[in-house]
Amino acid sequence: MGKSTADAEPIHIDMTVDVPYRFAAGTFMEKFLIELRDNGRFFGVACPRCGRVQMPPRVVCAPCGVENDAWVGLGPEGVLAGYTIMYLPLTDPTTGKPHQPPFVYGSVKLDGSDSVLDHLIHIEPDPAKITVGMRLRPVLKPRAERIGDLTDILYFEPAPGPARRR
Amino acid sequence: MEKTPMMVDQRIVARGRYYAGQAGSIFYRALRDRGALLASRCKRCARVLWPPRTTCGRCFSQLTEADMVPVGPGGILETFTRVAYAEPMHPRPAPFYYGIVKLDGADTGMAHMIDVPDGTEPAIGMRVKAVFKSERKGDILDIRHFIPE
Repeated sequence: MGKSTADAEPIHIDMTVDVPYRFAAGTFMEKFLIELRDNGRFFGVACPRCGRVQMPPRVVCAPCGVENDAWVGLGPEGVLAGYTIMYLPLTDPTTGKPHQPPFVYGSVKLDGSDSVLDHLIHIEPDPAKITVGMRLRPVLKPRAERIGDLTDILYFEPAPGPARRR
Repeated sequence: MEKTPMMVDQRIVARGRYYAGQAGSIFYRALRDRGALLASRCKRCARVLWPPRTTCGRCFSQLTEADMVPVGPGGILETFTRVAYAEPMHPRPAPFYYGIVKLDGADTGMAHMIDVPDGTEPAIGMRVKAVFKSERKGDILDIRHFIPE
């Protein structure tokens, strides 16, 4: 367009998309969340055919297409399966509030599980100090403050003891 | 296990910034500063497009500020819907009507809020007109709403 346009004030408009929503946990996720809330414990389900342990629990084992039936206690410790250092204020889907960057977000494979749980990792955001395979433990809110969602876990932090790989 | 199904409440908030671009900036400045509504007229297709743009989507003609023409503030209600639920992203509490208004002189419609007298409903084809706010800041809510003409 013409010079007059290029020199003119460009317009921008700040917009916020704000979507509160509610989902029914379902029988399996409900048990998982209630155990987490009331007893501070993690449970997965094992597939009767392939033995794969899924956490968060699902009704059906996706590869086998059969119903999972056996509840398995997991963790509470686990290993870091992967991570990213966030330099943007990722919005927490449980609260709608942004996290102050930088921070570490990672996938945690709880002991006994074949799948991972994504959560905050309470560790210095420095790749030299983070190792895939490092041992982690969950830090939960006090019982009275737990409400039965994944914010009941404050974060995972390095487990005490020498760093172990697996 | 509890008797009632367990519900989990979550919330997604995405903060964004929309850049109106060349044609959009001209539109919003005219709206803010003069209370005017502009659209782009494609000479080749003889169509008047709202929102204004720099390329005709049908014939790919380049459109400039010289191709901008005033439209409205009156128009025809092409369609409408009644919003019955409240959401934070809506500009006002429910219930209210959203409609698409084909502004006089334009060939495409503008979505906005439609207000009709209590106890009445909008009707497709009715004449409506834009009502502008007295203090405008350069966004589409500088149009307060459309009301029957």
